[in-house]
Amino acid sequence: MDLMLVLKAVVALSALGLVTSAVLSTAARRFHIEVDPRVEAVAAILPGSNCGACGNPSCFAVAEGIVSGALPVNSCVAGGQSVADGIAVLMGAEACAVASVVSIRSCGGGVNAERAYDYGGVRSCAAVARLAGGAIVCSAGCLGYGDCVKACPFGAIVMDERGLPVIDLDACTGCGICVRECPRGGAGLLALVQENAPVVVRCNAHDKVKGRKDACSVCCIACKKCERACPSDAIHVVDMLAVIDYEKCTGCGTCVAVCPQNCIDVHGRASGISSVAADGKGKDAPGFEIEAVDGAVE
Amino acid sequence: MNTIGQLALLFIGAALINNILLTRFIGLCPFFGVSGNFETSLGMSLAVVFVMTLASTATWVVWTFALEPLGVGEFLYIPAFILIIASLVQFVEMYMRKVSPVLYRAMGIYLPLITTNCAVLATATEAAKPGFFKMNIDLGASLGLGEALIYTLGVSIGFGFALLTFSALRERLEIAPVPRVMKGTPMAFITAGLLSLAYVGIAGWFGL
Repeated sequence: MDLMLVLKAVVALSALGLVTSAVLSTAARRFHIEVDPRVEAVAAILPGSNCGACGNPSCFAVAEGIVSGALPVNSCVAGGQSVADGIAVLMGAEACAVASVVSIRSCGGGVNAERAYDYGGVRSCAAVARLAGGAIVCSAGCLGYGDCVKACPFGAIVMDERGLPVIDLDACTGCGICVRECPRGGAGLLALVQENAPVVVRCNAHDKVKGRKDACSVCCIACKKCERACPSDAIHVVDMLAVIDYEKCTGCGTCVAVCPQNCIDVHGRASGISSVAADGKGKDAPGFEIEAVDGAVE
Repeated sequence: MNTIGQLALLFIGAALINNILLTRFIGLCPFFGVSGNFETSLGMSLAVVFVMTLASTATWVVWTFALEPLGVGEFLYIPAFILIIASLVQFVEMYMRKVSPVLYRAMGIYLPLITTNCAVLATATEAAKPGFFKMNIDLGASLGLGEALIYTLGVSIGFGFALLTFSALRERLEIAPVPRVMKGTPMAFITAGLLSLAYVGIAGWFGL
């Protein structure tokens, strides 16, 4: 009797499974829809990390949009020029230039920044930013709990021994997620700049220089040495902070050499110097020579 | 249980008094998941009405003509019903995609989500073999197909009604001056609790 019941159950469930699978496989053939093979091909070219920097929910949705013509071939912000070119070839469309950007960090604080209080809470910048504006005295500097590191979908940011997030330009795609995640990103601590930006000022403070020097030993002191030394009038002290006009900057590296605080760094791609190795080193960065940089950049 | 009045009572009992979301607390994931936006809630509600009705019909047929006569239903109903509901939704999705792309776009994304929804399984089970859940209304030993359909319609419309009410409330709460610590999900939980209290209160109306 019991065996009978087991047998019945097995037969009933298998029969049910067989019937449903038969119905489903018939339906799959009957209701088959030709999907444009180009969608798959475009999706294969896209990075596939669904970072959302372009404003679309997923890379696949972008692929569908590009194939249907609703989105331009250079929609992928993170993929940059090579992805846009690949898709343009596939779609037979004119390739167009992608406004390629990378992320920069405008702070050299980390261990050099004076602490306002001892923080023992959740290790997150968003959390510490809510406690009296952060655990460091400087109101513009990096909070140092690595929200950007956690947020980066490309693994391009790591915390170094100074407690600062170092951006690897070889991996950075300029998606801008770190800028959005950083509680001080809106204030310019992390920012997107054009890809070939050759130098970066590692300070973002606009308050009084006196108080700023007490808060951090490596801040911009608004001494204007860089402004006077710059041969192409590209760097100016605006609102007590050296600001670079990347339209004019030629990447000669003079400002890096003259900065007494070592708070201007050579930056990445165009210079041929690793952004990780140069971070925080100023004129001591490996491979840094004014002439070398000068020759590498037009 | 056959007069029009009794059927109406069954419907109202399933929709309001034993509201699946707010008094039985089944299917809470979409209740919090999609209720942030009225439009998506509407799509979800329509999809639930559609899928629940189909699923209940299918499970009722399989229960009445296969599982019950074989005497294996008592212990086989959950795997059997899951199998039926999952393949049914798959089938509907394929069919809809081919026949009505517009409807597919409006409802399609919610269909695979509903496949694994406990509310659908609960309702389909209850329609096929009453007595699974303790409820204020007595469904009797078994339902006819018509009664099962009315019951399912009641449950799914109750689901949609609660979901739409809740999402409308949440949209208003977005612009309300809620204290910062309570903004978002915490406030949604409190609202859901109050709404649930209101629905429990309905149970007194009909003296059931």
